[in-house]
Amino acid sequence: MLRRSHTAVLEKNEVFTENFETEPYETGWACEAIWFVRVLEATPGTKLVAHAQVSPDGLFWCDKGDAPLSLEGEGLVHLPLRDFGGWLRLRCELKGERPSAKVLIYLFLKE
Amino acid sequence: MTTDHRLSKFDPLSRILFFDDFDEGINGWCELLGNHDNNLDNIKPRTRDPRPAQLSTCSFFDIGTHGSVDGIYALKLATRPRVNHMAQLIKRMTYVKRGLVQMETYFTYKAETVFDSSIQTPRQWDGNYHPVESMFGEFTISNDVNDGPRGSRHHCVLRYVNTDREGNLVRKWMYKTSLQVTTRMQLQGTPVPEDWHTVNPDDWEEVPGGHFALCHNEVPTKINWHYLRWVFDTETRRNVELQVNDRIMDLRDIPVPVYDDTYHGCDRLLNFIFDVRTYMPVRNFLFLDSVLVSVDW
Repeated sequence: MLRRSHTAVLEKNEVFTENFETEPYETGWACEAIWFVRVLEATPGTKLVAHAQVSPDGLFWCDKGDAPLSLEGEGLVHLPLRDFGGWLRLRCELKGERPSAKVLIYLFLKE
Repeated sequence: MTTDHRLSKFDPLSRILFFDDFDEGINGWCELLGNHDNNLDNIKPRTRDPRPAQLSTCSFFDIGTHGSVDGIYALKLATRPRVNHMAQLIKRMTYVKRGLVQMETYFTYKAETVFDSSIQTPRQWDGNYHPVESMFGEFTISNDVNDGPRGSRHHCVLRYVNTDREGNLVRKWMYKTSLQVTTRMQLQGTPVPEDWHTVNPDDWEEVPGGHFALCHNEVPTKINWHYLRWVFDTETRRNVELQVNDRIMDLRDIPVPVYDDTYHGCDRLLNFIFDVRTYMPVRNFLFLDSVLVSVDW
């Protein structure tokens, strides 16, 4: 069988003005992952920094330790991952004086 | 079929339309996102966040992996931990002929374990009863059928209501009595509904013989799989029968609302839908081990 893959859209045009985490997503079947974060709109000076997090149970989380995604203003960035276990989420920090970002967040997974 | 252990736990009609074992992948079950004009800001509120499908190992913080009926993975629908949030997945087909359609599945359900003592339900833990049982709101099975370019469109919809909004156990199967408010209806002025399936939140009636408990099994981390068999008839536009384990409910006399409008581009539409809704700030989950749909065509 061909290697299975899947794209999940975790946030759709949501506007965030403070730090947030994405919903837990189960990844036990996959070996490869790529996070895509697209900032559609941002107030001047907004910087988004996103850390991949892993979990043993989908309840308690720690940073995976990879270099975080970082984006100032609008644009699209990605973060490839391996060895992430059964769960993934993004811990997102919004920096700036009055930060606001409208985001699309995708998680691509592959066996 | 009796020699195939994956199929012998089902009782299909003459032709199997599809058999989805979620150990093999998601098999076409995807988010039922609302209509839009390429601008996701314009998706109506009740349909903009139905959450992506997940392949779950049914793992928990205390025992680790539970697994599915005959494998590791189940299809999981997961709400956000937000009052009245609904997660919803759909599989989209068309039909060759009008007639009987039967959907069978092995399912289980749970609210997520919470460590937040501010979330309270009416009953306290007593060693057997766990409050998480009252943190699971409801789940719903439904279809979406359109007869043709100038034909009728209808949804057969059956919901298991586990609790009321205060967390008191209800444990009843219900059927809906009004139409699902479409994007176009909302653009034409119908208010945004509280309930995705109906115009008003109380547009539901009890299914005769549908008042019974499922096997919750005490704590948030034990899952017991249930057999469900649902038959509907696209010729009569009616439900026929719902079976949950040994309980069989005759649905032939239950009315099914039909739209006055016709729908462009939905010729011979035949969709299958599962959803789960939480009434509390607690994630609710619906797990499906496998789904088999058969027809009498």
